[in-house]
Amino acid sequence: MKLALALALVVAGTGGAGAQAPRIPSETVDAFHAALRNKDTAGALSLLDRGLVVFEFGAVDPTVEAYGLRHLPFDMDVAVATQWKLETRRTGGEGSERWVLSTYRVTGKHRDGTPIDQTTLETVLLRRSGEAFRIVHFHWSTSDPAFQARSQRAQKNEPRDEMRPAR
Amino acid sequence: MRLLFRLGVLAALCAYAQGFALAGHDAIDVDPALKRYAGQITALGAPDAKGEIYSFRAKRIRAETAFAPDELRGWRVTILAGARFANVFEVRGNSGDEITVTPVKGPLNGIAVKDVFVVENIPAAGAARPQ
Repeated sequence: MKLALALALVVAGTGGAGAQAPRIPSETVDAFHAALRNKDTAGALSLLDRGLVVFEFGAVDPTVEAYGLRHLPFDMDVAVATQWKLETRRTGGEGSERWVLSTYRVTGKHRDGTPIDQTTLETVLLRRSGEAFRIVHFHWSTSDPAFQARSQRAQKNEPRDEMRPAR
Repeated sequence: MRLLFRLGVLAALCAYAQGFALAGHDAIDVDPALKRYAGQITALGAPDAKGEIYSFRAKRIRAETAFAPDELRGWRVTILAGARFANVFEVRGNSGDEITVTPVKGPLNGIAVKDVFVVENIPAAGAARPQ
C-alpha cells in the first residue's frame, strides 16, 4: 500500500499537464505560454523542472516554488491581458540539454489604458526528463529601456541574498 | 538543495508578507486574470477510514485577512511545493482556515506542513490532471 502510494505520488509529482506531454523543446516553451494564457497553473508548473531558476527583468526566482508563488501568477495575468506574437526563434543544444531563444512582440493595454508595445527577449534552457523536456531556466528581458528601468525599480527591495555567488 | 528551497520559499513569503513591489512581467500593470490567494499549510486534516486526507489547515501568506467561511467553495487549489507539486484539487468548502477538498481529484495524501499553494477562483474540473 505504501509502495503504491509512493509510486502514485512520484508519478503525480512529475507533471500535471492535461494534454499529452510535449516532446520537443520549442513545443514545451509554447505549451508553457499557452498554459499561462489558459489560466492553467498546474499545466504551466508541470512543464518546469524542479531545479528551475528564473531571471526576470533583473529579478531572481531561485527555485520553482519561489517562482510559482511570487511571479507565475503575475505572468499569467500578463499572458491573459496581452498578445504575444513570436517573431524570431532559434533552437540548439544536443542530447538532454537544449536551448530555445525567442523574441516576442508583446502588445496590449495597461490597466489605465496606456498601450503596451514592446519586444520581449526570452532564453529558455531545457533538460530531458523522461519522454519530455522540462524548463530549467527562463531569462526574460526587454528592448524597452523604460520598462526595464521600471521593473528594476520595482524589485529593488526584493530579498536576493539567496542568489549571491559563492565567494 | 533543501536549504535553497527553504530560502526561496522564505524569500517569496517575505515578499508577500511585507508587501514589496513585485517585478518581472508584473511591472506591466494589468488586471488580475482571476482572484487568487497564496497560502501555506499549517496542519493536515485527519485521515478517513481508508487513510485518505481531504482537508488541511492553512494561513494566507499575505494575511491582512483570514479566509472567510466558504469563500473558497468551488475554487481550484494548486500545490506549489513538496511531493504534490503541480497537483490540483477542488475546494469543497472552508471554515475559516480549514480547507476541505472534494474527492474529484483524489486525496491530498503527500502534502506536508509548510507546503505552499495557490487557491484560485476558477473551476478545477478543466484543470490539468496529474499523470
